[in-house]
Amino acid sequence: MSIKFDAIIVGAGPAGLTAAQRLASKGLKVLVVERGRKPGSKNVYGGRIYAHVLDKLYPEYVKEAPVERWVRKERISFLTEDSGTTIEFETNNVEHKSFTASLSDFTEWLGKKAEAAGAVIISESPVDSLVVKEGTVVGIRSGNDEVYGDVVISAEGINRLVLERSGLAPKLEPQMVGVGVKEVIKLGRKVINDRFNVDDDEGVAWAIAGFSTHYVPGGAFIYTNKDEITLGLVIYLGHGSKVDVPVYDMVEEFRLHPFINRLIKDGQLLEYSGHLTPIMGLNASPPSLYGNGYLVVGDAAGFLLHGGIIIRGVDFAIESGRVAADAIIKIHEEGGKYDGSSLSLYGNMLEESFVMKELRAFRNAHRALDEPRLYNDYAKFINAFLKRYFDVDGTPRKIFSTFKETKGNLTILDMMRDMTKVVTNL
Amino acid sequence: MDELTIVVPVKAAVPNITAVRLDPNTHNLVREGVPLMINPYDRNAVELALRIKDRFGGKVITISMAPPNGKDFLESTIGMGVDEGILITDRVFAGADTLATSHAIAKSIAKLYPNFSLIIMGEETTDSTTAHMPAQVASWLEIPFVYYATDAEPNIKDGTVKITRYLEDEGLLEEFIYNMPIIMSVYRNSNPPRDISLNRKIMAKVNGLVKVLTNKELGLNPDCVGLKGSPTIVAKIEDAKPLPRKKQIFQGDPKEGAKWLLENLVKEGVIR
Amino acid sequence: MSMERKIPIEERLNSNAWDVDERPHIRIKDPDQCRKCDSKPCLYLCPARCYTPGSNGTVLFSHEGCVECGTCRVVCPNDAIEWNYPRSGYGVQFRFG
Repeated sequence: MSIKFDAIIVGAGPAGLTAAQRLASKGLKVLVVERGRKPGSKNVYGGRIYAHVLDKLYPEYVKEAPVERWVRKERISFLTEDSGTTIEFETNNVEHKSFTASLSDFTEWLGKKAEAAGAVIISESPVDSLVVKEGTVVGIRSGNDEVYGDVVISAEGINRLVLERSGLAPKLEPQMVGVGVKEVIKLGRKVINDRFNVDDDEGVAWAIAGFSTHYVPGGAFIYTNKDEITLGLVIYLGHGSKVDVPVYDMVEEFRLHPFINRLIKDGQLLEYSGHLTPIMGLNASPPSLYGNGYLVVGDAAGFLLHGGIIIRGVDFAIESGRVAADAIIKIHEEGGKYDGSSLSLYGNMLEESFVMKELRAFRNAHRALDEPRLYNDYAKFINAFLKRYFDVDGTPRKIFSTFKETKGNLTILDMMRDMTKVVTNL
Repeated sequence: MDELTIVVPVKAAVPNITAVRLDPNTHNLVREGVPLMINPYDRNAVELALRIKDRFGGKVITISMAPPNGKDFLESTIGMGVDEGILITDRVFAGADTLATSHAIAKSIAKLYPNFSLIIMGEETTDSTTAHMPAQVASWLEIPFVYYATDAEPNIKDGTVKITRYLEDEGLLEEFIYNMPIIMSVYRNSNPPRDISLNRKIMAKVNGLVKVLTNKELGLNPDCVGLKGSPTIVAKIEDAKPLPRKKQIFQGDPKEGAKWLLENLVKEGVIR
Repeated sequence: MSMERKIPIEERLNSNAWDVDERPHIRIKDPDQCRKCDSKPCLYLCPARCYTPGSNGTVLFSHEGCVECGTCRVVCPNDAIEWNYPRSGYGVQFRFG
């Protein structure tokens, strides 16, 4: 038995399914191969999707997609063992800019969209490698089976084992990725509304640096879903040797921090997950994003914008899937072959889209974010400074003298340097 | 008998029992967010059926009574090598206990495959662990039933089958020869399931190898299926509180450790 | 499960939906490498405590609670861990992702 497909997509995540939906809706015969039991069952992220790309590609999402809460409040905290400083931003004018969601649910929804458009999605089948003949990718291999297609899209996610085995990407280096650990805790809708001071469909996105990762580069996060919160942290693996407790204990210490613990009182753990996340953007991309018979989208391509506080993966994944599909459709309609030179159209179209425009702008973000002082000295300093400043005891305490007293090892030169790094790269 | 027809009933089960919780107020199972999957022990039954088919030929059919998404599990069995799947799904089947379920499965098999040779089932389900089904299906069809089967060798010429079964507690292997048709349930630690083939799954989906039937096609007695046909009453459910662990740690010489462990287990009454 | 206390990682993993394959998808290619490895980052960075210290500086692993992140493969300084996706849909099934 052998059915030949116009396009085969490895991985039913946001990138692969968007490509599938678009290709199938133009009448191409599309196969999506997914290793999980269904689309979404192997996906993990922090908790928030930026909606701008959905407005264009899936305008019906507002009614149909499994949106949990629209983000109304943005919080950034610097946490130490005994203090915390939080900046909270809130506006009445936010309308449907970003929302929290379960990525498993959301991906399953994208899967239904792709199937409705005519794509064939086969789950429970990990792809082992690409079938390469005479320097061209002609299909995929799963166990003893080979399936052939005119073009293959690798949307296999961050670990990109298939590309690696096919010699199209080097093994991931620790500094390219972070490990995310996440707990989903059920609290109930009303409790979340009360504790986070939001209305029914409004949510909070919260980034927490400092003690939450034991001052190791990375960060913690909390997002509010309807009935549960997601709480977790990311450790940059390039700094993995600095962790002094295992990451599963670290996330627990964060949860048990007095400031956090009171928010999750009477909560119930629904899920514990872990996943890698790209933190170097384009610097961790495979050497080529396309070649004879294949192209690469989503996390596998390093398409995640990691700006420290703002982390955007799903919108980049979806847009790259859209661009890949549009490039293929154009080549298909012109009756062309999918070789490296025709697929350079994908590269050109990516440059035109926000994917490359934004990722190039943030190309050096990791240089600023890799600075250990950001997660350690500054988190401690800001809390020590405010503690001292607010600690009124009758001795004169002006801002500059308090600053000098609490800045610890930080020098003014360090601060100026780091500030420059942050401002120029982020 | 010209050709073997092997039917394997499978269940869409809750994946692991710890994922399910009891609602403290209603005492009902909290199933929200819990994906359904094929009952793991049913895969061993499918595997045995396929091994029989590999050696003796014939046709293997999986059948399930499930919500419409049960199609996925049946496609997976086709991915393993099963020839066709039957999903029976209808609102009148909802709320069934094991009796009503076994009625629907047995009568559907009798209607769709009147010449079946073997029915092979999993030892039990992981989510309700009653092990009622095989015996009840046997009873509805008035055929013999062998449990803990590990292998079966049918003889198509004389219509008999030699069944091997393993009795775990006794450590015994037994062999029986019966006339077909017969039903057997498969010892859960035998016949580890094979991989799912991508090409076969594609074929199952593209060629529509899973047939979906409602009671319109099946015409089962509505009084014998679903909630109506279910005499079981769940009077009370209690959440068994897990015993706290003692968390004693022995450090030192492994031989001393083994002695220490033995003494403590005897002291606690775990072993005598 | 009350969240305001320490919950052993095994108990936390128990809240997940699993379909564990009997055949492991993890393999330590060369246990000697682990014995010689001073840093053993797998012990600290695996979110599921799949790796635990064995005797004589070895590393023991269990694949059952693997959340399939791939961290071990990336951080192993000796490239001693072979880590694959579990076959045929087995492994963890995330419901909240």
